[in-house]
Amino acid sequence: MPSWQDFQPFIVAGLALGGVYALSGVGMVVLYRTTGVLNLAFGAVGAMGAFIAWSLINSLHWPSGIAYLVCVAFGAVVTLLYGVLFGPPLAGRDPLVKAAATLGLALILLGTMSWVWSDKARSMTLPTTDHGFEVGTVLINWTQIIALALGVLVTATTAVFLRRTGLGTAMRALANDREITAALGVPVRRVEAATWLVSGALAGVAGLLLSNLVGLDAATLTFLVISSLAATLIARLRSLVMTFVAGIVIGLVNAMVTPFFSISQYRDMAPFVLAIVALLFLSRHEQISFARRSE
Amino acid sequence: MRRLAITLALLLVVLLVLPPLLSSYWIDVLTAVAIYSVVALGLGLLMGRVGLVSLGQIAVLALGAWIAAKLDFATSIPFPVVLLLTGLITMVLGTLVGLPALRLSGLYLALITLMLAGAITVVLTATQFPNGGPGFLSHTESSFGSAAIRRPGIATSDPAYFRYTVIVAALMFALAWWHVRSRPGRAWAAIRQSEPAALAAGVNLTFYKLWAWALASFMTGVAGGLLASHVGKLYTIQFPTSDSITLLAVVLMGGIYSPWGAVVAGALMKLLPALLDSWGLPADLLIILFGVGVLQVLLTAPAGIAGQLPQDLARLGRAISGRVRRPPPTPQPPSPPARKGETVR
Amino acid sequence: MIEITGLTVRFGGVTPLDGLTVTFDAGTCGLIGPNGAGKTTFFNVLSGFVRPVAGSVRAFGADLLAMPHYKRARWGLRRTFQTEQAIEELSVADNVALAHEHSRQGTRAKRSTDVLDALEFVGLEVGPDVKVGTLGARDRRLVEVARAVVGRPRVVLLDEPAAGLPDEETEHLGRVIRAIPEHTGALAVLVDHDMSLVSACCDTTVVLDFGKLIAAGPTAGVLRDENVVRAYLGTESVA
Repeated sequence: MPSWQDFQPFIVAGLALGGVYALSGVGMVVLYRTTGVLNLAFGAVGAMGAFIAWSLINSLHWPSGIAYLVCVAFGAVVTLLYGVLFGPPLAGRDPLVKAAATLGLALILLGTMSWVWSDKARSMTLPTTDHGFEVGTVLINWTQIIALALGVLVTATTAVFLRRTGLGTAMRALANDREITAALGVPVRRVEAATWLVSGALAGVAGLLLSNLVGLDAATLTFLVISSLAATLIARLRSLVMTFVAGIVIGLVNAMVTPFFSISQYRDMAPFVLAIVALLFLSRHEQISFARRSE
Repeated sequence: MRRLAITLALLLVVLLVLPPLLSSYWIDVLTAVAIYSVVALGLGLLMGRVGLVSLGQIAVLALGAWIAAKLDFATSIPFPVVLLLTGLITMVLGTLVGLPALRLSGLYLALITLMLAGAITVVLTATQFPNGGPGFLSHTESSFGSAAIRRPGIATSDPAYFRYTVIVAALMFALAWWHVRSRPGRAWAAIRQSEPAALAAGVNLTFYKLWAWALASFMTGVAGGLLASHVGKLYTIQFPTSDSITLLAVVLMGGIYSPWGAVVAGALMKLLPALLDSWGLPADLLIILFGVGVLQVLLTAPAGIAGQLPQDLARLGRAISGRVRRPPPTPQPPSPPARKGETVR
Repeated sequence: MIEITGLTVRFGGVTPLDGLTVTFDAGTCGLIGPNGAGKTTFFNVLSGFVRPVAGSVRAFGADLLAMPHYKRARWGLRRTFQTEQAIEELSVADNVALAHEHSRQGTRAKRSTDVLDALEFVGLEVGPDVKVGTLGARDRRLVEVARAVVGRPRVVLLDEPAAGLPDEETEHLGRVIRAIPEHTGALAVLVDHDMSLVSACCDTTVVLDFGKLIAAGPTAGVLRDENVVRAYLGTESVA
């Protein structure tokens, strides 16, 4: 059994990663509740934003700060464009169809990344990663602090926003019933656009952080969305607080299995196993779907 | 009947005419096309016939390949039996997974298959594939102890193995065709349109959904067995997560309602990249194309390319022959039915 | 005979059925009531789509609620839906045979005679191999009814079968429905808003309001019962 000392760096890494899963999860849940679209391209969007930032810094020598802003803006704009172009025509379809469509976006982005940047190994280090401090024997860098802090901040801010502001209330109304909300005079398209925009910006932020915490690789970053997805599923695509907690737990479990050498290779199974258990537990009451033609 | 004759003719052409004409590179590519068509067929059955989406079929393919490799190294069972056993074991595993998973529907089912695929991928990355090494996992890192997975005695050369693969693939298609034409196919049609109506007619939803799931697992398992002997040495990099998404895309584009759609899907996935490569174009462009294809299909033509084409051709045929659709005849007063002697299926 | 005792359904703060106790005797029975009275919920309980929190349903001696839904169809419970649910992709014969082939009621040869029998009974003149997707509303509805009466049904539930059909089709349907008990030996329950159809087909009628029974008995008497009139029209008297 590894010692407490051995665990500490992994706890830190797990919390940081969990923070990013949490903020990604919140971004996906709010979008899903408002528009019915589970954006499976969330990771791909962030990944491409990170690649663009990398090129701006390393090939065009732009200042890092601007490059990071471009990354976030890219996430916001691409997601917004997708939402405006493909949201309305698919609005009445099954959530499965809407999610499958986002896979189309993911493929387009993956193909583009593969074509433009190919598989060469790259790294992108945020300046905050170079600075840190020691807590006991563990070295914590500022990127990790930011990741966790943002996770908390995004969850809290979003929760308050949804409850206290006009736009937030409109989003919650939309989540409840699109038609009635439209009939009430709420500018549905504009509210949806705002949601796509913010969700996309969060994707950009997540991509930036993950490129640092995990590495700048198109496939890895794209499919890390599955871990955030696991958090949203555990929260039943509903509760923001649960998404946060689930994200942190997933990050922690994933990281803390590492010191156990015998099962360390299997640590990446943690998000999948947790999500599967959660889904099966939630489905224990059989449901008949009247989804297609109900009387 | 005519369609069957055309299909058999094409099959003969593929089996007899193609192999001597093509270089070993293209034989290799076409073998892969045949294998992935079977995988596409499984997914197409699930999506087109029953309305279930699985995002983890490539993981099932990898699982099948693992099982076949293990059976090959651990026993000296003849190849056809290895294939059959691989299919059956994969089917059993798939059914075990399906039992709890199929209680979910739609999006949640798709997501749980994604999660399961992720879990399988992690495990396979850790255990790697059997290659003649020691122990249950049969894996060794050194090239000294590793061996290639064997092929059937009658088909060790690449062209011969290509023919073998095509025949097995044709058998899988025949199996699927038989299912669609009989009781499970009718039950699936009812389930896909209206679960309440199917239930009211006495269709056991869980049983028939599970049957489709088991069938898809069986076929994908057999495809895994074919793949294992095709490549000889298996590596996890041959089964990337993105392939499951690509598979979904090509199955949608090829068309989920027709078996030809599965063949188109296999060609999109394995033939087009090789063609682009030979012309010096980047295969990444295809991924972008598939992404666009998914969006286009979901927005407009759920029947995909294979479904669209016959409709277009039929419309063209009618336009050429100048035939006009007549309205159905108005009902006549009841007369004794002359159809008593007709047989009904 | 179907005996319902104390049937209660509750969900989301609504109680669509509230301690319903009623008996349906043989023949064709009507089930009427204003919108929201609980009629479709009642059918859904019988079909197995909705689980009651209390109560029992015994039909021809069998405890219906103890059977899983798909087994009820095999037992002989058949149903048509408010929006017709004939399977478009299958042929007329395959649609009708669907109920039969999942009921294990005999050989394939018997199945074809039963299917043709049912098609003749409902008066459908389209060939059995025609794809249902190409048919119009009236024919699709007849296919659905044929599916409900094929073979040996015991209970046939018809949920607003005439909805959207013109008068002469409704009359035809009425004649078919009226003949169901005699032709198949089953008990038929008809839910509809068309009072002339209910009067024409049903010897007895049950009336629900707010999930409770408010009248039951011979149709003519029930339709004049002042409780029933009040439920539909409010408390003003109508000449």
